[in-house]
Amino acid sequence: MQPYRRTRPLPKNFEVIAKSEHEIRSAASAAGLALRVDELRRIADHLGRNPTLVEAYAFDAQWSEHCSYKSSRHHLKNLPTTGPTVVVGPGEDAGIVHLGEWKGERYGVVVAHESHNHPSQVVPFEGAATGVGGIVRDVLCMGAQVVAIADPLRFGRVEDADSHQRYIATSVVDGIAAYGNAIGVPNIAGDVYFDGQFDNNCLVNVVALGVINESEIIHSAAPPGSEGWDIVLVGKATDASGFGGAAFSSLALDAQDAEANKSAVQVPDPFLKNVIMRASYRVFEYLREHKITAGFKDLGAGGIMGCTAEICSSGGYGAVIDLDDVSTSQENLPPAVIAIGETQERLTWIVPPGVTSEILRIYNQEFSLPQIARGACATVIGCVSKAKRYVMRTGDEIVMDVDIDFLTGTIRDELPFKELAASDTPEPSAIDRLRADHPAEVLTKILAHRDVCSRAPLYKQYDGVVRGCTVLERGAADAGVIAPVRGTPLGMAVSVAGNPRYGKIDARRAAEHAVLEAVCKVVAVGATPIGLTDCLNFGNPKKEDQYSELVAAVDGLGRGARALGVPFVSGNVSLYNEAAAGNAIPASPIVACIGALADISNVITPAFKGSGYALYYVDAGANHNNGGSVLAEVLGIQLSYLPPIDFDVAAAQLTALRAAMDAGLIRACKAVGNGGAVSTIVQMAFAAGKNGKRFGARVERSRKFSTLDEGGGFIVEVASREAFESFIPTVAAHHIGAVTGDALLIVNDQRFNIDDLHASWSAPLAEVYA
Amino acid sequence: MSAKVGVLIYPGTNSEDETLKLLHDVGVDARLVHWSEAATLPNYDAYVLPGGFAHEDRIRAGAIAAHDRMTDSVIEGAQKGKLVFGLCNGAQIVLEAGLVPGTGPVRRPTAAFTRNSPNGKFICRHVHVRLAIDPQRCAITAALPKDSLIPAWAAHGEGRLAATDAHLKEIASGGHLAFVYAHADGSVDDRAVPNGSALGAAALTNREGNVLAIMPHPERDAWGFNHPDRARGTDMLAPSGGVALFESFAKALK
Repeated sequence: MQPYRRTRPLPKNFEVIAKSEHEIRSAASAAGLALRVDELRRIADHLGRNPTLVEAYAFDAQWSEHCSYKSSRHHLKNLPTTGPTVVVGPGEDAGIVHLGEWKGERYGVVVAHESHNHPSQVVPFEGAATGVGGIVRDVLCMGAQVVAIADPLRFGRVEDADSHQRYIATSVVDGIAAYGNAIGVPNIAGDVYFDGQFDNNCLVNVVALGVINESEIIHSAAPPGSEGWDIVLVGKATDASGFGGAAFSSLALDAQDAEANKSAVQVPDPFLKNVIMRASYRVFEYLREHKITAGFKDLGAGGIMGCTAEICSSGGYGAVIDLDDVSTSQENLPPAVIAIGETQERLTWIVPPGVTSEILRIYNQEFSLPQIARGACATVIGCVSKAKRYVMRTGDEIVMDVDIDFLTGTIRDELPFKELAASDTPEPSAIDRLRADHPAEVLTKILAHRDVCSRAPLYKQYDGVVRGCTVLERGAADAGVIAPVRGTPLGMAVSVAGNPRYGKIDARRAAEHAVLEAVCKVVAVGATPIGLTDCLNFGNPKKEDQYSELVAAVDGLGRGARALGVPFVSGNVSLYNEAAAGNAIPASPIVACIGALADISNVITPAFKGSGYALYYVDAGANHNNGGSVLAEVLGIQLSYLPPIDFDVAAAQLTALRAAMDAGLIRACKAVGNGGAVSTIVQMAFAAGKNGKRFGARVERSRKFSTLDEGGGFIVEVASREAFESFIPTVAAHHIGAVTGDALLIVNDQRFNIDDLHASWSAPLAEVYA
Repeated sequence: MSAKVGVLIYPGTNSEDETLKLLHDVGVDARLVHWSEAATLPNYDAYVLPGGFAHEDRIRAGAIAAHDRMTDSVIEGAQKGKLVFGLCNGAQIVLEAGLVPGTGPVRRPTAAFTRNSPNGKFICRHVHVRLAIDPQRCAITAALPKDSLIPAWAAHGEGRLAATDAHLKEIASGGHLAFVYAHADGSVDDRAVPNGSALGAAALTNREGNVLAIMPHPERDAWGFNHPDRARGTDMLAPSGGVALFESFAKALK
């Protein structure tokens, strides 16, 4: 490894003791530290001395919102996280839910959900690509094969072809495509919304999914009895990327170094990741064969320090790290940058010394990491210690020596929030206008609405079928479905949801809708919901209004998940999504739902199957017109009204529909989403048309069924009305019409040509993603 | 003894698992050969080059991989008459290595799969390809019925066949155009071509007919569940249309 050579003396300590509040604040600001004065004083008090500079940056990372969840954790603990499907709940790098059994083996789905919002706003291609890379590592390090990704995206207004928003919306998609395609993980689900409130803060969330034999899980902790084991760093040579811009420039680098490190943004390398993933699969095999327990963890925020401190403290141990043993891409990197910088494509193993040489051989020789990327390798950088200290050395200096539990322990910020008023006062006149008869062109406008129109121009850039296990690719249904365990009929479904038009009105109910929508989408393909994951994208927690939305949304997620009996197994929080002018994004609780199919032969698609089959609308407890609907926007109706969800109805209806599916009565099914019931029906005809089958539908509006409602529920196609009605005896399934064979949509007295509707629906994003 | 088939893994390959599984399912004695095992390649009787982004597709898809040590063995084998079956990135490598159409010297390609038209972007789309040669013209297609229509997934950023007019003429007249893109009913027009490929080309073979380079992935439409037009109750684990080409490859090995 490169010996560390200093070109000028670094300030050894960050002076806190005997300094005034003002002095500490200006010094912290000059050093680019986000730690508050009280936090810095707490650190100095605990240490009984001034922290070293490395320690100050280490605490800055560990106690950041990003790592510590200090303003959200105490609210998140109210989410339901247990249940019969939970194999590994929140707390490790990814959660695991039980997918199913085949020939005595139990298989689990590993799921992680992350945001890369801020980097994507600055450098969209790299930001989005590293978002995929980071979350894939979280799944990999549980010992899993990475089998799918999904990407909920929120962009600003893209109508102007020369706008920065358009540039972000296209570059983010390019970045996700470039990364996901190269590593060979299919993108099977996702959604996208466009709204002016995302003009200055796009949201790039990524869900990664893995599959694992439940007896082969690798934990993100130093295993019991691992005192003295090697800490092995794998991956890209550590460089200066991904170290906070301000902090980095404050380290007084030589001018030439500063030039070389202008960018404080992480740099993705999917090619290297492809090789690291496959090399890690080989290591998994080796460990299994030799029945060796090891610890494995991804490097994210906080870099080497964050990862090694957390993996060792989780096992009840400490660590000693030699920074000089870290492979770096250039000389003279300051120790704080090596220790804390977030260079991508790195992972850490904790392995018994006896197997270290084999692990190094697999990465360095068999998979030749050093030939794949300059400086990339697997190398021992330290060891697990019995003393619960976290120690970092460089040369003959100790640059960090702290109580490991103090470094990684829970911290909590009590921030003020208030109860948000529920948005349940409808204005009767506005509701009447929503439910009135609308001219035919309203449907065309709805289908061409930016939140309804075809997403194909976006997702066709993603490889949705690599691995050869895709059952329902992106756009084929409400949820993506794969057969992740080769040679078995087990199926895994995944959907995402989170409507920002609802988030603008009522954060709590938007969260409830997100849970319900995600669950309904998984049920629509015939799967049983087994787990949820969330990414909470919100504004500034230090502003009461914005923090209150977060608190309310967590409450809504909990209510929805409990009512539907589906646990949360992992999640992520992204705060400070606020423009300089202070305007925040809409409350954006984004939810993903994982579903299980015992046999993929029972998968249900939305495509119409037969002329003359009956159509039903199945209510799921939320069939109301509301102020956040596409219809309201198309009609220009301002209405701050998002009615409550009747979760008793929702739960009962989902159970009844699942039973009808199991009995083989449902020929086609689609959850009602943006644009309402009739746009859902039209898309079921489009789905059949994709396979060259021309169908239409004849539906009747009625007092009980408004074709433009978008509050949820399902449209189902059934062959036998009698058989279906015996399964859903409640008043909440309405017979609304029939499938026809003539590619016409007839709604009462209005007639539409399906091909014309398809043209309106297909055009808008084709122009953006041309 | 049955023929031994090597499935090559270059740094950046990503479709090895599904390719290997399908080869096993059609009864081929195949195994993955990793780049660190390149020296063992001459021991194999045939080579399958799966999809991915070998050597990061730097310069042009397949261009660096064509100069990889592993490709030395593939070229040597092809010249001795061994079967070489390139899929997607594997097809790009085979073209860059000059094995197909094989009308110029080795590693001096006369045709290449280049950036998709019209916008140069990656495209993932279900397609059909139609056999455009006499099946016997290429060993790998020999067991297919005439005019076979094979379903597949196109998933590539560089699949547009490009060559000089003279070379395109040579490809067309020399019987190199093995498969063309087609609609589900077998008809052929520009709309069936997902990437602007010259001649509507989806696959090419060499003069001797022992090398096939196909851009879309039949191995990703190998099972009932892979095919876009699925209906509840159909046997999702039964073979789908993409298997036919692999079965023909398996027969050619015997």
